[in-house]
Amino acid sequence: MNLKAPYIRIVVIGALICLLPLFLSSFYMHIAVLVLIWAFLACAWNIIGGYAGQHSLGNGLYMGIGAYAVAFLLDRFNMTPWLGLVVAIALSAGAAAFIGWIVFRYALKGAYFALVTIALTEAAVYVVSNIPALGGAGGMQMEYHGNSLYYMQFAGQNGYFFMGVLLVVFILLLTQWYRRKRFFYQLIAVRENEDAAEALGVDTVKAKIKANVMSGVLCAVGGVFYAQYFLYVGPRSVFGEVVSVQILIYAIVGGLGTTWGPVVGAVLLVPLSEITRAQLGNSYPGSQLLLYGGVMVLTMLFMPFGIMGLAERLHQRWQHRSTTQVVDSQGGEAS
Amino acid sequence: MTALLEVHGLTRRFGGLVAVNDLTFEVNEGEMIGLIGPNGSGKTTTFSMLSGALKPSAGTIAFNGERIEGIKANRVCRKGLARTFQVVQPFPDITATENVMIGAFVNVGGARQAEATAREMLERVGLTPKADTLAKELTLLQLKRLEIAKALATEPKLLLLDEVAAGLTSTEVDVMLRLVRQLNSEGITFIIVEHVMRFVMNLSHRCIVIDFGSQIAEGTPEEVLNNPAVHAAYLGEEASLA
Amino acid sequence: MNLNFSGPVLSQAVISGVMLGGLFALISIGLTLIWGVMKIINFAQGEFLMVALYLAFFLVSWGHIDPYITILVTVPFMFFFGIGIFRATISPILKDPVMNQIMLTLGVSLILQNLALMLFSANVQSVNTRYSSWNIHIGSVVISGPQLIAFIGAILCTLALWYFLKTTDPGRAIRASAQNPSAATLMGIDVPRTYLLAFGLGSATLGLAGSLMIPFYYASPTVGVFLGLIMFIVVVLGGMGNLMGCFVGGLIIGLAETVGAAVLPGSLARVFTFAIFILFLLFRPQGVLTKRQT
Repeated sequence: MNLKAPYIRIVVIGALICLLPLFLSSFYMHIAVLVLIWAFLACAWNIIGGYAGQHSLGNGLYMGIGAYAVAFLLDRFNMTPWLGLVVAIALSAGAAAFIGWIVFRYALKGAYFALVTIALTEAAVYVVSNIPALGGAGGMQMEYHGNSLYYMQFAGQNGYFFMGVLLVVFILLLTQWYRRKRFFYQLIAVRENEDAAEALGVDTVKAKIKANVMSGVLCAVGGVFYAQYFLYVGPRSVFGEVVSVQILIYAIVGGLGTTWGPVVGAVLLVPLSEITRAQLGNSYPGSQLLLYGGVMVLTMLFMPFGIMGLAERLHQRWQHRSTTQVVDSQGGEAS
Repeated sequence: MTALLEVHGLTRRFGGLVAVNDLTFEVNEGEMIGLIGPNGSGKTTTFSMLSGALKPSAGTIAFNGERIEGIKANRVCRKGLARTFQVVQPFPDITATENVMIGAFVNVGGARQAEATAREMLERVGLTPKADTLAKELTLLQLKRLEIAKALATEPKLLLLDEVAAGLTSTEVDVMLRLVRQLNSEGITFIIVEHVMRFVMNLSHRCIVIDFGSQIAEGTPEEVLNNPAVHAAYLGEEASLA
Repeated sequence: MNLNFSGPVLSQAVISGVMLGGLFALISIGLTLIWGVMKIINFAQGEFLMVALYLAFFLVSWGHIDPYITILVTVPFMFFFGIGIFRATISPILKDPVMNQIMLTLGVSLILQNLALMLFSANVQSVNTRYSSWNIHIGSVVISGPQLIAFIGAILCTLALWYFLKTTDPGRAIRASAQNPSAATLMGIDVPRTYLLAFGLGSATLGLAGSLMIPFYYASPTVGVFLGLIMFIVVVLGGMGNLMGCFVGGLIIGLAETVGAAVLPGSLARVFTFAIFILFLLFRPQGVLTKRQT
């Protein structure tokens, strides 16, 4: 029962969230959908960045691959986004596997890994901007089909909202499930001490590549969702450094390598930034990114483990204190 | 019968420096071998090559009749050759149990099983009271025990111990002695690098002495202690051989 | 595709590339010092340059000061600006994992970028100085005068920094602190102060860059995004902390950009730059000039 509790919590919270459309106006529903999109993307990034500890600054690459894949296939071949989704997954998996294989085989880490991932996602911006079939620098507008499950499109926000809830619940369940699997333990070992992990039989290169593929594929799924909601993809709106940083900022503020952290981060920051944008966006463009920058600096200075990380640590300390008391009462340990 | 570990002509150069030079020795199953020598004589470099962390410049290593030189550390470990690190290498931000589970996953797939193995290993090294403590909060002695528990969890046939007794008090060294002897009686073969002579002389069936990367003596602890070449090598080193 | 390999076009591209390379070297010297030598990550270095460019721009366009005289203001300003940012943000987390430094300085870069956007709008600001249209003709090849000055400035700045690090006490203190902070402390070096000095200097070089660039470049909130990435690319290509390498790295990337632009359509040349960078990181992470250590 105890083991199942985290899963039940996720499902129950997901179900309760589904009641929101009863209370929220269209403006706030729009924000809610944005929260879900970014929460999903941040959860996806959390696998490579939080659990495996490889801070990719370029996951926009995979988000962009997903978004552009559905947009292009819909535009050119009138292909249903459901099939487009399959293509997006295949393409992003291939790209993430190839990049991971090269980057991790050559043992790039830390700042070097971050820089390579930025370079890749920025390169994607310039490549896409120069391909007329993909709309060039102007991006692609996708055809609106009204309420149509076949085209994965909905009139109004509610359809997207429920789809978003499903996606986020799915990724939370997935993370929670993997948290008790060998794979994630190995990722954490890689993050904590790569040499020690290798000496204990962990194929660190393979583990990191797998994490990159998993994270990349899920980011591509997020990209598909993003494209379907906005019905527009542009080089800088789904590729590039700014999007990539946005993806990870929620995970960092919420708590790296925790199941709920990225969601908590998105729930707190997305509405804040959207409301800031709505209030100040016209007179002060950039106010919401300024806010993100400030939050990021403050998080790193005062709460580097993020909100959930801090909560976990306080909880552990509390538990630790109670166990130490037990040990002490038994005479403690000779030292 | 072939030996469990056969090392032949093992050499490692760093630029112009020869850290390990043409080392040849065998280790039979069930043996405890002491690998001793003055500081900087190449002991840890030898361990690194045996465990796959470092590629040899020349020479062969056969483990269980299989050539393993130059293959990656994780594969060496999965073949049954594990090591501990001279400078302890914990996973700081997870609990002691989770630290050991990483090793246990070499042989089991499920977290529940791995946790059971891990707790068993922690029990063996006397860390049960600290099972749920984060590794970064452990003391040096506890971390040294954790190193052994992690390595044991991979179910090694051969375990390389790199200075597990260094920095421990006399009583703690006794505890470590008993633990290693017990593990050896259960069939684990050991190669021990150690500066605490009492530890290594008490345990070793056979000692290999290296200096400047080359083997200068081999034999029982008594033979080695009475070898003039060994005395010469240690001359000027404070470490007393008695 | 419009492939154009004709002689004059290519020789112009090479000369422009060398000039651009000097510019890239100039803006990267500071990062060579703080990242290459001191191992401090600053992802806001590009935004520091943006600040310097705006400062130079306003001094020239509003203050009507000769761009080359503004050096007297921009260099000390950027020195103290760098020190202020370092004290307030980077210094407290210097011992934290590298990633925290990256995230923190990314945050600083977002703040600076968007403050500039709020204060100065997204417009590209450039100023016409009497040097702006000064061109030197050599046969069919044209060299922009202010670019040539920036190129010479890059050489002088590199030599000055090299001389400083090799021969002066504070320079030696910087190298000692970078190599072994605890040993440096034992030798009586005030390590935190040395870090501060290095960071200030790394920032001050951008003041020089801002003044030398403003006659032919521009200021905009996002000008530092691409230039910041270029700085990191140049430092990696040159080899961490290798001052001469930084110059060579700048030249390689400058040539890649201009020759690439002459050969490839649109902005695809930039992909060329990124490709060179990634290949270097994979196959020659020690840079062009540094020997490989194993």
